[in-house]
Amino acid sequence: MTALPEIVDRKARPLWLRLIRQPGGAVGLTLLVLLFLTAVLAPIIAPFAPTKMGAGQPLTPPGALHLLGTDELGRDMLSRLIYGARLTLWIGLIAVGISLSLGTAIGLVAAYAGGFVEKLLMRSNDILFSFTETLIALAFVAVLGPSLTNAMIAVGVAAIPFFARSAYAAALGEIAKPYLEGAIAAGAGHGRLVLLHLLPNVMPVMIVVATLGLSNAILAAAALGFLGLGAQPPLPEWGYMLSSGRDFFNRAPWLMLYPGLAIAFTVFAFNILGDALREALDPRSGGR
Amino acid sequence: MFRFLLQRLVMGLMTILAATIAVTLLIHLVPGDPVRIMYAQSQGTTPEQLEEIRARLGLDQPIILQYVAFLGRLAEGDLGTTIRGQQPVLDLLLVRLPNTLLLAVTAMAVAAAIGIPAGFIAAYNRGTWIDSAVMMGAIAGISVPHFWLGLLLMFWFSVSLGWLPVAGTGPLSLILPALTLGLSNAAIMARMMRSGMIDVMGQDFVRTAHAKGLPRGIVLRRHVMLASLIPVVTMMGMQFAYLMGGAIVVENIFAWNGIGRLAIQAIFQRDYPIIQGFVLIFAATVVSVMFVLDVVYALLDPRIRRG
Repeated sequence: MTALPEIVDRKARPLWLRLIRQPGGAVGLTLLVLLFLTAVLAPIIAPFAPTKMGAGQPLTPPGALHLLGTDELGRDMLSRLIYGARLTLWIGLIAVGISLSLGTAIGLVAAYAGGFVEKLLMRSNDILFSFTETLIALAFVAVLGPSLTNAMIAVGVAAIPFFARSAYAAALGEIAKPYLEGAIAAGAGHGRLVLLHLLPNVMPVMIVVATLGLSNAILAAAALGFLGLGAQPPLPEWGYMLSSGRDFFNRAPWLMLYPGLAIAFTVFAFNILGDALREALDPRSGGR
Repeated sequence: MFRFLLQRLVMGLMTILAATIAVTLLIHLVPGDPVRIMYAQSQGTTPEQLEEIRARLGLDQPIILQYVAFLGRLAEGDLGTTIRGQQPVLDLLLVRLPNTLLLAVTAMAVAAAIGIPAGFIAAYNRGTWIDSAVMMGAIAGISVPHFWLGLLLMFWFSVSLGWLPVAGTGPLSLILPALTLGLSNAAIMARMMRSGMIDVMGQDFVRTAHAKGLPRGIVLRRHVMLASLIPVVTMMGMQFAYLMGGAIVVENIFAWNGIGRLAIQAIFQRDYPIIQGFVLIFAATVVSVMFVLDVVYALLDPRIRRG
């Protein structure tokens, strides 16, 4: 008798409420809202222009005027980090946009079409999957040449196999359900079935995948930036800043400390939000 | 069991075949003239020389012929020569591959040594603050970028304390890169181990073990532990592939002389033959290791062994 009231109770609670009732969801969402505001308000809150050289003495330690110190060219670290938030969110959105749209399309088409198309798409996907994301991203950057745009494309493309696999698995589960048979019986065409029936029902799973994918994409793009294969100077990209700070390791440890902290903070926020979303969407977790 | 392994073998061979195709196509996807880009950094190359190089690389042939020629040379163990210095690419890669494998395997050991017990402890104390603390630590571990962790470790252990070498390729220099790679993977392993154990703990044979009156500790150690290692082993192939990818970055931080460091240098120098060889060797290594792990998995899981 305990199961029934719980189901009714769960229906009464919208997703966002279930989400912020979890500690991870509330903390993750708060951190990301702060990050988003930082990015949007960068011109207002940053004390200096991010690329302005000689805003202070080069390699000034953190202090009253430069809260997080200055880099080797006298640029204000805090301002660069604030503007870097823009780049980071942008990189994440573009990369995940690529993997989400193409991956979902591949997964849905494979699951819906079945037969030869399904075999062909999913087998090729498995092959790409075992190439690993790092290798695909590196090969892409090697071909296209190092730049921020190419890094975003490379990271986005590299994650397609993972997104396709997740979408495929989710779609397979939906195809077996009665509502789809109902839609077929009502005479819905292929396009209508995939776009209006399958896609909306696969979306909850894909939102979780995309949230966790954002943290992955941000890490991967920062790694490319760190290797010098992503964003190029003077862009205040965190990964690149970290690697240029490495040369001043001893004299100015803050140059590598803060960009790394910023990346870890952002990725952490997306990770706990993704985990909380998964819990909130999972009917088995009982909608705590 | 043989059917399962045969399937995996075919899949692995297909992957390597796909890698050879990708590698042949790779150079053609370069925007602009790859030969000109490759030699942009060496001065005084005449147009005639460029033509000669194009012929040497076979780029003046139709793409199908290029592919066939590539496979022919591959069968003889020839991956071409580097643009600068004209060294055989295969030799360059094979000299460095053991270093990368050593790094990845050591990192895997570090990850297992920390991750498996951590996941076990979390699942054992499920729902308590210990569980939450371990899982929080695991999420934090996943979120910290390798390259930052590497620099921090280098800063503490090599620069501040002076205990370990900053960089290089030797027994002592292995510690920091392996720790860097291993720690972030320990986090992933802890999560897998925990969820694997929680799954297993809900199964009938565990209930039976409890019901016949075995103490909880024995049930967990004897029945649950082994069964929950199976998903961990299944995922080890992906883990290894992930570690090989991570090694590319970590090798570059610690100047560890592996194939990842070579590949990044090659990307900067636009030395396409090295990049092609790297992609192929990387894919082949990952596929081989995954196949070996599949064999282990088949031997470990009675459902497959007898199936």
